[in-house]
Amino acid sequence: MKRRQFLVSGAIFSAFLSMRPARLLAGWNSTIFQQSSLDAAFLNALGTKNLVRSNEITIVAPPVASDSAAVPVEIHSSLTCDQLFLFVEKNLTPLVFKCDLHGSMQSFFSLNIKMREGSALYAVVRENGKYFMTSVQVEVMAQAC
Amino acid sequence: MSSSVRIFAREESGTVQVKVIIPHPNESGTRKDEQGNLVPAHFIKEGAISLNSNPLFEIQLGPSVSKDPFFQFRFAGKKGDMLHVSFLDNKDVHYVAETVVQ
Repeated sequence: MKRRQFLVSGAIFSAFLSMRPARLLAGWNSTIFQQSSLDAAFLNALGTKNLVRSNEITIVAPPVASDSAAVPVEIHSSLTCDQLFLFVEKNLTPLVFKCDLHGSMQSFFSLNIKMREGSALYAVVRENGKYFMTSVQVEVMAQAC
Repeated sequence: MSSSVRIFAREESGTVQVKVIIPHPNESGTRKDEQGNLVPAHFIKEGAISLNSNPLFEIQLGPSVSKDPFFQFRFAGKKGDMLHVSFLDNKDVHYVAETVVQ
């Protein structure tokens, strides 16, 4: 009897667990955001750390940011990409965002980010299953995070 | 569910430029307050944006996005298109907004 109850409650619990991801939008992938080194973040998010440098991607960011709690970063590219990533090398967790683009989206994204210290920013895009990247160095004047 | 999200979408020569601002503390979980205690993580971690109920893009976000996240993006569209944005934070609170492209 105990065993049966255990099985039933386990079945209900696992059914509940399997329903949870459906409530989320796409299913947040926590492991890609938990990596502490840039190489590990590349490997986890992209499956490779050998990226082709391309000058068809542009990062627009101030060379010296006055407020590290809100550094404006703009990424645009002439490649027709279906995925877009931004990494900050020296942040505790380098990956800032991962974006899956569809249909009529243009390769442009802009947001404000936090930076722990001056660091290189890496923008990575995927075109036809291949990853391309570019990087810029941003220094910060006052520390946040 | 919260509808405090502000969204602006404006079309110019076939390209729609969108600005989205989500009023949110967006705490990374690594910041300390005046007493030296860690402020618990509370940040937007996912978003899904659709145009006339077709998916436009999905985004997964880490903790290093600024307070009151401010996103801008562009797509090929026209005036009158219906844009729907939906965001979710790590406390499972949804932030949704809709707008018509101007």
